[in-house]
Amino acid sequence: MTGTNEIKRRIKSVGNIRKITKAMQMVAAAKMKRAVASALSSRLYAEYSWDILSSISRNVENIEHPLFVERETKRVLLVVITSNRGLCGAYNTQVSKQAVRFLESIRRKFPSAEFEILTAGKKGERLFRRMSEKIAASFLNLPDNVSLRDILPISRLIAEEYEKGTYDRAIVAYTDFVSSLVQRPLIKQIAPISKRELKEFLRTIGEEKNKIELQNGNGDQEEKGRPFAPKIDYLFEGEQNALIGSLAEKLLRMQIYQMFLESRASEQSARMLAMKNATEAAGEMIEDFSLVFNKARQAGITREISEISAGMVSVNNLQG
Amino acid sequence: MKKIKLKVITPERLVLEEMVDQVSLPTTMGEITILPDHIPLIANLASGDIVAVSAGEHVPMAVAGGFIEVKKDENGITTVAVLADFAEHVSELSEEAIEKAKARAAELQKKMENKEDVDFEHFAAELERSLNRVRVADKWRTRKYRK
Repeated sequence: MTGTNEIKRRIKSVGNIRKITKAMQMVAAAKMKRAVASALSSRLYAEYSWDILSSISRNVENIEHPLFVERETKRVLLVVITSNRGLCGAYNTQVSKQAVRFLESIRRKFPSAEFEILTAGKKGERLFRRMSEKIAASFLNLPDNVSLRDILPISRLIAEEYEKGTYDRAIVAYTDFVSSLVQRPLIKQIAPISKRELKEFLRTIGEEKNKIELQNGNGDQEEKGRPFAPKIDYLFEGEQNALIGSLAEKLLRMQIYQMFLESRASEQSARMLAMKNATEAAGEMIEDFSLVFNKARQAGITREISEISAGMVSVNNLQG
Repeated sequence: MKKIKLKVITPERLVLEEMVDQVSLPTTMGEITILPDHIPLIANLASGDIVAVSAGEHVPMAVAGGFIEVKKDENGITTVAVLADFAEHVSELSEEAIEKAKARAAELQKKMENKEDVDFEHFAAELERSLNRVRVADKWRTRKYRK
């Protein structure tokens, strides 16, 4: 009977694990709902604001604001948004892989440039520290439901350092929430804001490693529309540069905020799915074990019966 | 008759998307009215009320902060995009909500007097928003408008 005891213990431990993963699945599902709702509701605003920014950068000449001025690429800041906790499937791996791949190809393009990483989330920090990249800043204490105020220090840091000229490009690797089953790791440049340049820039990199998924928004439509799209001659109310400056800062902040919302929604969905799979796998394991357990028990009983009957036969033989 | 496409968007939601005849907006340089075929424009938004006119009826909304973009879309329709930090239909400003906003404004005012908070900017914005709600709701209380 020693075999059955062992199996019984394993069934019990798998059952306990299933309880935990089930609970984590529930928690992730609840958090996901909220994260997805906030990501979706501000998506329209973020998309619109990005459109306006790129429209300004396309149509207005000699903007003096640094956010619109393309500089020689000497120092690049890569922002990587990951989670603090694991157990969320391939979520962190995917976005990190994308970021690393991007880093490799951009290194090849600008061999003399320096690179610094800004990480949000423990997982990304750990990875880039292991790769001994230079980490400029690491934000760890972001709550699950991020608000615009939580993002403020990050966006301010990026905007200020960029304006000061510490970095000539700021690029973000984040995860775009497509649906609760599909999340896409993406690379997006947030500074400088110059869409045409950016697209070409990304395309050259994309050719090198065509696996890198690039964010070009509604780029395809625009490509078609551009020959016909007339130049828009904006009238600015008030002082043009001041207005553009305040606009750009606000919209940049909104972009970063939206990226965080998308990433958070993706994280929770990935976690929910991972936990759901774990729960199911545990259920299957229990089934398998129960089968083995029943077989072993039945084998034991059969053996005992045959021993007893064999004993009886030998006793009868002796008596006979 | 030509119309303009008005979109009022906040980070939380799409407040309004509609074809209207004209729209008046409070900008930091004063109130402006946009009619069809307006030239492309970008301006900062002050707090106050946006009033759209559709079929002779007024559609008022309370807004605070943000900016506007006016341009023609690919079909030649003048599009006014209002990206507001905060926007609400006046009809959504119920009496109860107004009372709450008043109370909140008073509370915030006290807080601001009490200490030199690091969050001064945040409080100031919130106070302005609360006061604006009260102002706009008072203004439209006796007037006729479309809900």
